[in-house]
Amino acid sequence: MPRHYQLESSDGIRYRLPREGQMRTDVVVYASAALLEHIKLDLSLEQAMNVATLPGIVGSSLAMPDIHQGYGFPIGGVAATDFEHGVVSPGGVGFDINCGVRLVRSGLTEQEVRPRLGELVEQVFQDVPCGTGGSGFVAVDQKQLEQVLVLGARWMVENGYGDRRDAEFAEAGGAFDDADPGQVSEKAKKRGRPQLGTLGSGNHFLEIQYVETIHDDQAARALGLEVGQVVVLIHSGSRGLGHQVCTDYLAQMGPAMKKYNITLPDRQLACVPIQSPEGQAYLGAMRAAANFAWANRQGIMHFLRRSFRKVFGAEARLELIYDVCHNIAKHERYEVDGKKRDVLVHRKGATRAYPPGHREIPLAYREVGQPVLIPGSMGTASWVLVGAEGAMRETFGSVCHGAGRLLSRTAAKRGRNAQEVKKKLEEMGILVRSETRDGILEEIPEAYKDVDEVIEVVHSAGLARKVARLRPMGVIKG
Amino acid sequence: MFELLEHTADIGFRARASTLGELFETAAVALESIALETEAIEPRQEYRLEATGEDYESLLVNWLSEVLYWIDGEQLAFHHFRVTALTPAGVSGWGLGERRDPARHRAKLIVKAVTYHQLHVAETPEGWVAEVYLDI
Repeated sequence: MPRHYQLESSDGIRYRLPREGQMRTDVVVYASAALLEHIKLDLSLEQAMNVATLPGIVGSSLAMPDIHQGYGFPIGGVAATDFEHGVVSPGGVGFDINCGVRLVRSGLTEQEVRPRLGELVEQVFQDVPCGTGGSGFVAVDQKQLEQVLVLGARWMVENGYGDRRDAEFAEAGGAFDDADPGQVSEKAKKRGRPQLGTLGSGNHFLEIQYVETIHDDQAARALGLEVGQVVVLIHSGSRGLGHQVCTDYLAQMGPAMKKYNITLPDRQLACVPIQSPEGQAYLGAMRAAANFAWANRQGIMHFLRRSFRKVFGAEARLELIYDVCHNIAKHERYEVDGKKRDVLVHRKGATRAYPPGHREIPLAYREVGQPVLIPGSMGTASWVLVGAEGAMRETFGSVCHGAGRLLSRTAAKRGRNAQEVKKKLEEMGILVRSETRDGILEEIPEAYKDVDEVIEVVHSAGLARKVARLRPMGVIKG
Repeated sequence: MFELLEHTADIGFRARASTLGELFETAAVALESIALETEAIEPRQEYRLEATGEDYESLLVNWLSEVLYWIDGEQLAFHHFRVTALTPAGVSGWGLGERRDPARHRAKLIVKAVTYHQLHVAETPEGWVAEVYLDI
């Protein structure tokens, strides 16, 4: 039975759950009436209320329209904490540190790719390792791994795994400053080393798509997008290295919370003061793991370029449009109640969305806003948006990150057969290759909310603007 | 004995056993069987496993995280587990298994981590029961 929530809304997009009990602030949910009914069915609103209890939280505990139940934080949640007096929560970043999305444009059209799609999907499946087979990854020794943790995508570019312009078109230039590899355990390094340049499994994928519709001509031109053009979306993160970093620090949080006298309604929310030695150690390790993730997506793109050249010849060029992270905690500055505040923005399944003119946007896009990449489910659609002013005023420069799950993995598999699902997708013009047995069934389109409805909410709320809708042609899954 | 539990984005399991030590062993088997196809794993070598915690809940999370590290980081596949000592502050034991061979021990799902989400360890009249959710 869904729990009853006291939600208030004046515009049918922003729903407020007033502060109660241990909460230090309100929860604000961005949703349509229909999406809200789905949201009420799992624990996501309760988790957003728990986030509102974090010491030093600034503004509201925010929930995006793709929100669904996570652990500790809901997935699709945003929380900013005061940088001097607030806390950092490893659970507010998640196990997949800097899980994110990278969009690559080709010079090819759908008509040119369609006749050779089978060959292309097979080639990409061969060239891009998913990381379960124990080979094909970007081989680095211990010393090189330490450099990857400091330099992120820049290390990859300097060492022949990319073009010079690639790093420039990633959020934060593809590497955080202040990463501290010394705070990353040997276990995390050992787990991550054979996984650099690998896709992973679960909801991670690589999708060959074409631009179906353009919704903003000026922004599309700036991003180099036109109708019919083939693009590739890469969704992956920091692999075992990031997972182990989060595991290691969560294990240390229990005793540290006692020391700082912090009690919380959910153990997975565990947090420590940002400025404490434990908080600083975690942030140093988190940034190193984030750099690993940027290097990882760069490695995948390198393998992808190789596949395109093999199938379409040496002149086939792939250029990076942008790369965003959607699991991260970042030190940023916002105006809150008329005052500039330094905050740590936790984005757990949420994407940064800076508006036009922001100095952290590459010059080529600065006039139109930061590209925001929203993957949908395989078989439906993905979206390219650009950040808008509303995000700066209301959501600490953040929007949604995907369609949001509706069905559990077990429910998605129930009564379905992988071959039938594959055949149905083929009839829709979508070829799928998956490494793991359950990969296809668990990510069926029916397991996700309607991505178009999610996008409509953030567009109408003025958090981001629609630029292009992308349709899948080929899906490679871990 | 264990059964799978549903979660919107992830997967969990409920393990039951007559003693707490067996519960930890069963939970380790459940974790591994979610990650790997286990039929062909052979008990060739013994690997020591240790974890510490503040209570049985955190101990179980840390024990399973240790098992996951050996599977994903050290590329091992375990045939079975044995707990030799257990207090709320620490658990030690071993896993008997072999190096992972991608051809014989195919991955089913890449398990990212063991979470505290709705974590539950309790003694009931029928024995010990634990509920654990994994991040996939």
